[in-house]
Amino acid sequence: MRLYEHESKRVFEQSGIPIPKQFGVVHSVDEIKKLDLEYPAMAKAAVLIGGRGRAGGIKKVTSLEEAIHNTEMLLKLRIKEHPVYTVFFEEAVEECEACYVGVTTDPNTFNNVLVVSASGGINIEEVAQTRPETIIKREILNNDRALQNNIIKEVTDLLNQDLQLSNEQKVILASIIDKVYRTFQEIDAKLCEINPVIITPDNVVAADAKIVLDDNGLYRQSKLLETLGITSRRHDVAEPTPNEKQAHSQGFPYVDLLPSDITKDENKLYVGLVPGGAGYGIFSIDEVMNIGNKFFDGKVVPINFMDSGGGPPQNQVAQMFHLLMDYPLTDIIITSRFGGISSCDVFIRGLIQALRERHRNNQRIIPIYGRMVGTDLPSAKNYLEKAKQESPEALQLMEIVVGNEKIMADVIKEGIRRGFEIKKEGSS
Amino acid sequence: MKRIPVDQGALYFLIKQIRPELAAYIQKTKKIETVIIGLGRQGTKHAGLMKEFGTNVTAGVSVGRGGTRIHEVIPVYDRVKECLKEHPNIAVASIWRHYSGVRDVVIEVIESGIPIVVLITEGIPLKDVRDIIVAARKHNTLLFGGNTPGIIFPPEGIKIGMLPDIFYPEEKSKEEFGPRGVTIISRSGAILYHLSDALASAGIAQNAVLGIGGDGAIGTRFRDIVPLIQQYPNTDLIVVAGEIGGSQEELLAEDIIAHPKKYPIPIVGLISGANAPSGKTMGHAGAIITPGQNYGTFKSKKEALEKAGVTVVNSQFELVETVKEILQGWKYFSVERYQEKMIKTWEEPPKKVGWATLITKVQPNNLIIAGYPLKDIIKKKTFIETAYLLVKGNFPEVEQIKELEQIALNAIKLPTPEVNVIEKEDISKTIAKYLLQDEILAKYCIEESKSPPNQVMFCLGRVAGYLASILGNKNLLKNIDLKQPFSHVIYKILTGHTVIDEKKSGVLEAMIVASVDHGVTPPSAQATVIAATVRAAYEVAVAQGVSAITDVHGGAGAKAAQFFKKCITLAKEKNIELAEAVEENISIYMKEGKRIQGLGHRFHTRDPRRDILWIKAKHAGIAGECVEISKIITDIFKRVRGIDLPINVDGVIGAIIADMGLDPNLAKAVFIYGRIAGLSAHYFEEIASQPQMRRIDFSEAVYKGEKSRKLPT
Repeated sequence: MRLYEHESKRVFEQSGIPIPKQFGVVHSVDEIKKLDLEYPAMAKAAVLIGGRGRAGGIKKVTSLEEAIHNTEMLLKLRIKEHPVYTVFFEEAVEECEACYVGVTTDPNTFNNVLVVSASGGINIEEVAQTRPETIIKREILNNDRALQNNIIKEVTDLLNQDLQLSNEQKVILASIIDKVYRTFQEIDAKLCEINPVIITPDNVVAADAKIVLDDNGLYRQSKLLETLGITSRRHDVAEPTPNEKQAHSQGFPYVDLLPSDITKDENKLYVGLVPGGAGYGIFSIDEVMNIGNKFFDGKVVPINFMDSGGGPPQNQVAQMFHLLMDYPLTDIIITSRFGGISSCDVFIRGLIQALRERHRNNQRIIPIYGRMVGTDLPSAKNYLEKAKQESPEALQLMEIVVGNEKIMADVIKEGIRRGFEIKKEGSS
Repeated sequence: MKRIPVDQGALYFLIKQIRPELAAYIQKTKKIETVIIGLGRQGTKHAGLMKEFGTNVTAGVSVGRGGTRIHEVIPVYDRVKECLKEHPNIAVASIWRHYSGVRDVVIEVIESGIPIVVLITEGIPLKDVRDIIVAARKHNTLLFGGNTPGIIFPPEGIKIGMLPDIFYPEEKSKEEFGPRGVTIISRSGAILYHLSDALASAGIAQNAVLGIGGDGAIGTRFRDIVPLIQQYPNTDLIVVAGEIGGSQEELLAEDIIAHPKKYPIPIVGLISGANAPSGKTMGHAGAIITPGQNYGTFKSKKEALEKAGVTVVNSQFELVETVKEILQGWKYFSVERYQEKMIKTWEEPPKKVGWATLITKVQPNNLIIAGYPLKDIIKKKTFIETAYLLVKGNFPEVEQIKELEQIALNAIKLPTPEVNVIEKEDISKTIAKYLLQDEILAKYCIEESKSPPNQVMFCLGRVAGYLASILGNKNLLKNIDLKQPFSHVIYKILTGHTVIDEKKSGVLEAMIVASVDHGVTPPSAQATVIAATVRAAYEVAVAQGVSAITDVHGGAGAKAAQFFKKCITLAKEKNIELAEAVEENISIYMKEGKRIQGLGHRFHTRDPRRDILWIKAKHAGIAGECVEISKIITDIFKRVRGIDLPINVDGVIGAIIADMGLDPNLAKAVFIYGRIAGLSAHYFEEIASQPQMRRIDFSEAVYKGEKSRKLPT
């Protein structure tokens, strides 16, 4: 989970790293007057995506009028598709020298890695591509809570070859490097980055900050989240969508693949997925896409990721189907239950429960196509047969292949074909 | 179908690569020992499923549950260290603990030197994972996971983890599996079902399926495990099932390009996530594309692997086609037979699972305690040794016997509670009263809660003391010498004799030993076990069991002895043959509607304890007219009544007691005293191996203890 810049700065401030003076956060123009602004100040769009500066998400303001005007502009802005809901103000810092300090986990070795560079303030990935020699990397082979002094000294000296700092400034920079690493270890971070660290004649400050927390460590960082006022888990680049929030509250992982304000193309078939575990959840999106491209002129659009594995209880299975049938975008649901550890019986009961509830309440029912195989198959089969006789109307749009004579890809293909058929019938 | 020997399989191969000395041991024993750590709902359930699949689940580890058992036969230890002390050759550990408390135990396992660790736990904080990885590197551990579904080896029938039994091995013949096939190495679990399904639809076998874990940082990466499997001679092709996020696939590709000789076997890469949006985590912590990064995407992985000469696919259809082409259409088994087998597996009604006891196997005309025939135990072993065997499953060492006897003798010497005995009160109730009022016993059991055998010995000593009081032989206790054998003390207490008759003492002990146990179904055992399910104190549960020994159950000996004596008196009065007197008395009993006790048995037509007691009595010179009647009564009864009711152990004990010139009521005291050992064993077994307050169907108990064996000499 990524923190906003102003949140990251608060974390660093608490660790004793100097940051520009913070004036506060607004969600609307009216709130600006309540802030005690000093000019010149920076107005910054609070977004989780990079490239904000280039998209015009940062403005310098020298008066209240400018502050109001620019905030209005910022709140209308979309940065790489992401709307701006929040703007924050901080002291404008005079820039002399700038450098980069970051700590992350190496994706190859999983060791922590300290990255510093005298080329601060610009995209570090770009620097890594164009001028790799300016980047100093140190892989930390132990997992101690602090860096060894000799490493801090070594990288500070290397940085100083370019920066030419005073002794005082050098001490502050060294302590920032030390503190960034300690913070990284303390708060269960995946990334702690200050870019740039700005060196002014009389100070060294963290001008921009980025922290990505390890989702697995969040459970033991409740104190930190509390101080930041964060109550729900967000993505690395965006706040969760309403569907995602609902799924989360019901206890299963779900991701929307399309933006929530998308216009539906009536020529295309939008496929919702209740696929099984996480890995197959990702793979089934590809399956649907590939089959759509190969056999249906690319007119098939998978709309969601879902992890329905691990043996969810009946009621949760029902909620999974409800969620997708409540979603106006969905044309058809493709589902697969490979009951390895989980039970086909619980699954089919959950699915039928959802359909019966919707039929009773006159809610929209959309076609479901799928396959089930594995544990508890006989009882699942019996239940399905009986349910079909008992409530044929509620279940008329459901077709579940029982057994493994067809592999799942064949079932998906057949399901999509049927989906187009039903769609055609419906529109004619 | 016959499985392949473990030392020809892929798991053995992996162990051999990292711990050759352990591999040498496995080659000798043909067993790969495994331990399961973390016995919550999941861990416990899968311990059972692994065992059912064929895995040798040697032990479990769960803090606070040391000394108990799961699935009734797998011993549990508090600590990894304690477990390894008992089972030093464990080769694989699976870890199922919750992410919040798993770090320390994984490191403990790694440091213990176990070569293969399967970390099932999902969602471990990255920082803890780094500590785990640092330890694994230091100790050269093959760490699968975290967040792995496990590893499975279909040809040899071993799985560690939660993968279901759907992966199909090569069929060498109609009776025998073979070791060859495709090895699948995957970051995800659920996808494996669909890979296996697709491959099997084309007759392609899987000889090993290795889940390396879906988390962002894991122990063994593709780059580490693929080269190892490349050397396994039975693998014809490797499917690497990767997904978006991280740089594992790219790293593997780099290594293939740098060291092509390490990769002689063809690899097919299946990468998922071609259509995943960036910046959103999809179920797996590892499967996330970070915006702006130049690795971790479907494209970067596909390009890197293709550059290394690996065919990359992104669908089931492509996978099947590509694998078929590389293997030139080779089929490892008949697809029809595979589908039949799967249908059979899925359609099979759930197995009715009994519950296990390791104490006594009850067969018609045979009783076996922990593998030893009871008749041999009666012949050769003392009561103390037998009581120990019941509780521990093995006889005590010679030097232990003395210590055990000392505990019992000391217990006798301590003061007994003052208990009022009502006239005609059942002796079982009297003993139960003593047990419940005995504060010394209660305190001892609390202090010695960790040592069931000590509690049993102490209890047997205490009950001997009660018997002395009940039988009016309390004065004898004053002169008890701690150096004499326990059996002599029992002889004195029960008979009131001050001089030991070795032979008689031996017969008396044999009768006690003959009474020790009859499995879980007798009402007394049921009563004790029920008390154990609610975790009643040991002496309370024993008192419950003893109270259930009434005239209906266990009390037949005295009544039988009285009948035998009547017959002898009649024969003397009328001066007729014994047989004639027996016949006449049976007729009288029939007319009066009275039952003759000591005849008939639920299981045995020829009670396994009968003959050895007769022989012992004869050798001791005790066998007299009562024993004589006990031998002929069955035939006479059949003649008169037309029903075959063989003499049972109660009847035989009653006869011997009577021939010894003792009070026939002593028969019941002997029975109760012996049975306390059995009740104790059932109590401790229940506590150690079953959940609290379970529902019990006593008829469903299955003996799963030691196989039949000969008595140690």
